[in-house]
Amino acid sequence: MADLSEHMTKARDMGLGHDRVPVEYYTSADYFRREQDMIFRRAWLMVGRVDEVPEPGDYIVRDLPTLKASVVITRGKDGKVRAFHNACSHRGVALVCQERGNAMTFRCPYHAWVYRIDGSLSAIPAEQDFPHVDKATSGLAPIHLDTWAGFIFLNFAQEPEATLPQFLAGLDQMLEGAPFEQFPFCIRVTDEIDCNWKNLVNAFNEGYHVAILHNKTLRPAVVPKENPHLHYLDVKHFGPHSAGTVQRNFDYNPQAPALTWVYAQMLPTSAPDIAAIEEGRAGFYEHPGINRLKIPNFGTETITIFPNISIQPLANGYLFYQFWPISEGRMRTEVRIYSRHAPRTLREEYAMASTLAATRDVVVEDMAMSRLQQIGFESGGKTHQQFGQNEPLLRMFTRDYEAYLQGKGMGQP
Amino acid sequence: MSHPALPEKFAFLEPFVATWGDLHTQDERYRRRQELSQGELEAFHAALAPRLEEVFTHIDQFDPKALPEAEALLFRVVLGLTEASQAVEIFGQPRVPYAPFPHSVAMEWVGYQPH
Repeated sequence: MADLSEHMTKARDMGLGHDRVPVEYYTSADYFRREQDMIFRRAWLMVGRVDEVPEPGDYIVRDLPTLKASVVITRGKDGKVRAFHNACSHRGVALVCQERGNAMTFRCPYHAWVYRIDGSLSAIPAEQDFPHVDKATSGLAPIHLDTWAGFIFLNFAQEPEATLPQFLAGLDQMLEGAPFEQFPFCIRVTDEIDCNWKNLVNAFNEGYHVAILHNKTLRPAVVPKENPHLHYLDVKHFGPHSAGTVQRNFDYNPQAPALTWVYAQMLPTSAPDIAAIEEGRAGFYEHPGINRLKIPNFGTETITIFPNISIQPLANGYLFYQFWPISEGRMRTEVRIYSRHAPRTLREEYAMASTLAATRDVVVEDMAMSRLQQIGFESGGKTHQQFGQNEPLLRMFTRDYEAYLQGKGMGQP
Repeated sequence: MSHPALPEKFAFLEPFVATWGDLHTQDERYRRRQELSQGELEAFHAALAPRLEEVFTHIDQFDPKALPEAEALLFRVVLGLTEASQAVEIFGQPRVPYAPFPHSVAMEWVGYQPH
């Protein structure tokens, strides 16, 4: 194995300060309100994938707890994907009550105002009693929407300060053509935890904890001898977004009977398919923006999209994590495990359920630690937490977090 | 609760039917795992894990979308091992360390109805 130390990006290599960060950022209601206004109402927020609404008339409803927003995302007859606030123009009812479906119109269950799939208002019962309502301008309230690599992003500003490509700041170019669409099937795992959302953001931005907290789960599979603190390699940053390369142990060979049986049916999302790699058909492994160092024991590229997303392209799919603040001390984690296809046999259903349980348990470890961290923060004995030289992405996130709170960040240097 | 019988050659799983046979979601199985003792999880694992191939060779004969009652019950019991094996093969204890108890997690297979 070549010496990797020169690729272990340190905070000083990136000119990052923030070695001590106030606990107040994680415990104060005032900071949470500023995050709502200055980050979540300004940044582009990822909310799903276009393949969740593949056909005209398809719709999904998403609630974004941070902004208390209920959002309807639809694909129109014209094929265009649009987003609207889920609120009737008459008396405000969140009229679309199913989480997903296919329809050409939405009818409010209160007084039967009817909207088309493109959000326009089509009918008002007893219309003569609403002479002041201009139907042409009284559709569902639209939300700015754009897509990248099949991911749907929303922007809740009146007018976005930057376009989505400007916001992504080159991350989109590095990952141009990455084959996310090859992995359309997903299992969604959601949980709410009593902790600040940034505790989880930070957990996904360093590998230092993996050998300790994930000692029984991830460590045997991913922490290599030559990098015992799982330092991220080749850290790249694009505005407030980043990517770092993470290794794994290709000789990991579980011997326990149930896990061995699962591996023989269908490789877990994270396990390298050696034959596919050798034949050049291993999905993300072939992409030039991923594993730029060409390390032979490549595990994943951990990609962070500001403010609240982590994506990990893996051998047989990818993991998508999203962290939504609900208050300064409570948050929702959503994890999606993306695979090539739904189970085709009951063997595959068992294998995917097993991988689901294993993936969930790793996230439960992170969430458990983030909750303990919050208890410690709120106890009040410490005014600051410390970020090491080996935690550059935590410092970078904090730097950009502060910039956003000050009204900067969106496309500005 | 009364159950249909398991397929005859899998009668050795009968002691585990009451524990796992009525559970229909991964979250129910995850919570059951947290409630059981490590000894109970190990007994289930010891009985089933070495015989998974035998179980699925049998289940393979049926249409996954129209399993007979006995095979559907068998499959539900077997899916319990996806959770029990985490306790036995990974953690050496029923619960994820430091996690709240009882702990529930929503898990949705989008566009697929798992058993």
